[in-house]
Amino acid sequence: MANGEQLNNKAGITLMQLLVLGLFFLIALRLWYFQIYNGQEYARKATDNLIQQQSIYAPRGLIRDRDGTILAENKPAYGLAIIREDSRDIEAALRQASQWTEVPLQEVREKFKAGKERVKPFKRQLLIRNLDYQTLAEIETHLMEWPEFRIITLPLRHYPHGRVVSHILGYVAQADEKELQNNPELQLGDTIGKQGLELSFQEALRGDKGLKQLEVNAQGRELKNSIIEEPVPGKDLTLTIDLDLQQHAWEQLGNHTGVVVVLEPFSGDIQALVSKPAYNNNLFVQGIDQETWHGLLSDPDHPLQNRAIQSSYPPGSVFKLVVAPCALNNGAVTPEKEFFCPGHYKLGRRVFRCWRKGGHGWMDMREAIKQSCDVYFYKVGEKLGVDAISAYARKYGFNAKTGINLPNENPGLIPSKEWKLRRFGRRWQGGETLNLSIGQGYTLVTPLQVARHLGALVNGGYLLKPNLIEDAEPTVQQELPLKQSERDMVIQSMLAAVEEPHGTCWRLRTKNATVGGKTGTAQVVKLKEEDREKETEEIRYKFRDHAWMASFAQQGKQTYVVVVLIEHGGHGSSAAGPVAKAVFDHLFSKE
Amino acid sequence: MAPFDRRLISHLSWPLILFTLVLFALGVMNLYSASSLRVETGVTTIFFYKKQLVWGAVGFVVMFACMVFDYRHLKSLVWTLYALSVGLLAWLLLFGEQIYGAKRWISLRYVSFQPTELAKLSILLLTAAYLSGIQEKLDWPRLCKLVALVLVPTTMIILQPDLGSGLNILLIIFGMVLVKGLKKRVFLSLLVGLPLLAPSGWFFLHDYQKERILTFLNPERDPLGSGYNIIQSQIAIGSGQMWGKGFLAGTQSQLRFLPEKHTDFVFAVFGEEWGFIGCLLLLSLFCIFLYQIVLTAQESKDQFGAFLSAGVFFYFFWQILINMAMVLGLMPVVGIPLPFLSYGGSSTIINFCLVGLVLNVSMRRFVFKRG
Repeated sequence: MANGEQLNNKAGITLMQLLVLGLFFLIALRLWYFQIYNGQEYARKATDNLIQQQSIYAPRGLIRDRDGTILAENKPAYGLAIIREDSRDIEAALRQASQWTEVPLQEVREKFKAGKERVKPFKRQLLIRNLDYQTLAEIETHLMEWPEFRIITLPLRHYPHGRVVSHILGYVAQADEKELQNNPELQLGDTIGKQGLELSFQEALRGDKGLKQLEVNAQGRELKNSIIEEPVPGKDLTLTIDLDLQQHAWEQLGNHTGVVVVLEPFSGDIQALVSKPAYNNNLFVQGIDQETWHGLLSDPDHPLQNRAIQSSYPPGSVFKLVVAPCALNNGAVTPEKEFFCPGHYKLGRRVFRCWRKGGHGWMDMREAIKQSCDVYFYKVGEKLGVDAISAYARKYGFNAKTGINLPNENPGLIPSKEWKLRRFGRRWQGGETLNLSIGQGYTLVTPLQVARHLGALVNGGYLLKPNLIEDAEPTVQQELPLKQSERDMVIQSMLAAVEEPHGTCWRLRTKNATVGGKTGTAQVVKLKEEDREKETEEIRYKFRDHAWMASFAQQGKQTYVVVVLIEHGGHGSSAAGPVAKAVFDHLFSKE
Repeated sequence: MAPFDRRLISHLSWPLILFTLVLFALGVMNLYSASSLRVETGVTTIFFYKKQLVWGAVGFVVMFACMVFDYRHLKSLVWTLYALSVGLLAWLLLFGEQIYGAKRWISLRYVSFQPTELAKLSILLLTAAYLSGIQEKLDWPRLCKLVALVLVPTTMIILQPDLGSGLNILLIIFGMVLVKGLKKRVFLSLLVGLPLLAPSGWFFLHDYQKERILTFLNPERDPLGSGYNIIQSQIAIGSGQMWGKGFLAGTQSQLRFLPEKHTDFVFAVFGEEWGFIGCLLLLSLFCIFLYQIVLTAQESKDQFGAFLSAGVFFYFFWQILINMAMVLGLMPVVGIPLPFLSYGGSSTIINFCLVGLVLNVSMRRFVFKRG
């Protein structure tokens, strides 16, 4: 039978033979196409694979004060990075990393997972920053056993003076996911400015990264290491801030929550900008932990807030420096026009009080500013009306950002009839005009706005942009609508407030210096009748008034504007006055 | 057992043994290179090639075991084997443990084993027996019966999911059917019908499989993900150019830019280090190896032996073609190894086993006058 079963499918055999032939030619042709026809191209790509490019960090620009003292510098720091493709067991590697650094394993895992997408194969992925020297030494000794790990050097920003200048400098911190996405030049682990000058001057400070090329052979050994592009260091910044002065003002505030601004009126340069309490900006550089961060956010004293520019307060009587020239300018009163102050003023059925219970008696404008008589200004304000005051105040730069080179500035608020209707849907009340004319009610200003305004009074009427960077050309933003006589009137009254009997600013009297000032006591809430009788110390802290001192002083060629605000400090004169005086003493002692 | 006949030795296809061994040896050498792992201090090798040698030794024994009995006895065993495979596959689907997202392995005490391989063998034998029992070319009813028999285990394999092996089986059977020949009407309707049916298969694919096909069409759409293998393996092969970079000197392979380099992409390692000349040599070896099987099929004294050899032919043919085409970017990435070169226990043993069966056929091509 076997013979009879001779294959009847010759065609099948032929088919298989043809298939073998076809296989040979198809694959051979394709191989020729890859290896001969395109061989050089692929050889070049293989060589490219051998070349690894690493970026070189550019040192961030330093920040110095006006005397050259370093305020922000870079320190070398070490980080642990992983190359995924060099790892035989990623999980074991992460465990080891956690063990070395004492960072919880879960956190290491999350960091690894989060960063994985951003780092190309065979590139170093930063796992843990800022290794301390002991950890570094331990890792170094075990590095041979863990081919996937690399130690990388990263510059670490350091602020040697911490809190005292933290609101000005701000801080750098690791770029977050969103920032990495928006800026392709940023790599995982890069830090960028997030607050303060570090943020506003990010572009100038950061510099440009360099590029290093590493060539490796088949065994992974480094053959060549060449720098293709040198890093360009960031530009250094020199500030107008005087660290000694800043420090001194900081100390003078003691335990108070408050602000000190020291400004040169003829240039707009800021020599001190203290906001207290502050925060340690070094915490952010190293990656702030959740607990500390939430602690800072929920702190009732808001240490993250730069009160000099980001908080606004009712100006209180400081606002009389705006209302008085406004009245002259409008022709509502002459300087000589006198009003009688019995200690209160009746509008309809409401009684508006003067801060001096017994009243000031007959007051002209100079005396009213000097003694800060409220009734005088109620009457002037009533004559002017809200919109005249509001329009005039805006010409003094209120209700607008000062344009200082710091982020998140608060514009403050000057109310008007139209504003109230829009905001509350209700009409403006006559009593509110009276409140406005003594700087209460809705009116809000930042300490820096007040300093800029005073600077303009002193320098002849030019509203200058407050400046933090040395050798910047003064920028005139506006000219005050102020006649010489009106300006003299205001300045003379402020000088009188310091020098003459009954002046509210007598605490500022300084030997050999011409000093002028205006106090302010900004009501936080309307006090009840019985509370008015009490001394400040007895009123509960958060109901106490904010204390203002807006002042200027001249000695020889030096002229300074000093604005002090103390939150819940009580009376401007007693709380803020001594701080301003101490600052002037420091300024003039340097000669 | 019949008394030993000297003709068994003289008729043995010595070239087939020789080429099998040469291919295996090349495979082990290539795995030695593919096993090296870069570390900071240089190259260390891990033990794929050593294990492969062990699998080869086992395979060699299995090969002899597949030669000693008369292959025609298998004819009576085909249904038992078929039932056993279907049973195991069903058990795996119902109770199997998932490893890497698929239920493919049955773990015995010391080794794990893939029922898929047994299924391949049993379907091949069943088809050979079935086709050898039919005198004329296939008509519709006979073809449909065969297809039904084949689809039962194949579907279970595809459900594991192991699309690669499933398609592999279908292709083997398809090849055997073509060798058998189809009635003209059947042949023509298939010629028209199959290409029309193919696109509907898209809807049965898993997402990762669709992904692979899309990536095949345009590897650059995902250069760091699934396109990475394709791009890097093509760079490896292409950069071998005419003469190759030399043994252990392939930068793509040694620096591990190549994933899966010891299994499905092992040809890329070879191509990089041995170049066009080496690849042509390897390709020629494969073709001569295949031709030896065709010769055996041609000279076989019975239909069963012929179809058994044809089945083995297609088993190897499709794997070689698909694997090389995949690595060379002519096909989407499917998990099909290159016979004798890719690392793998089950596949190495079954390869030797199948070669043993073909040798069995070749040994007995002139004997058994008595039937």
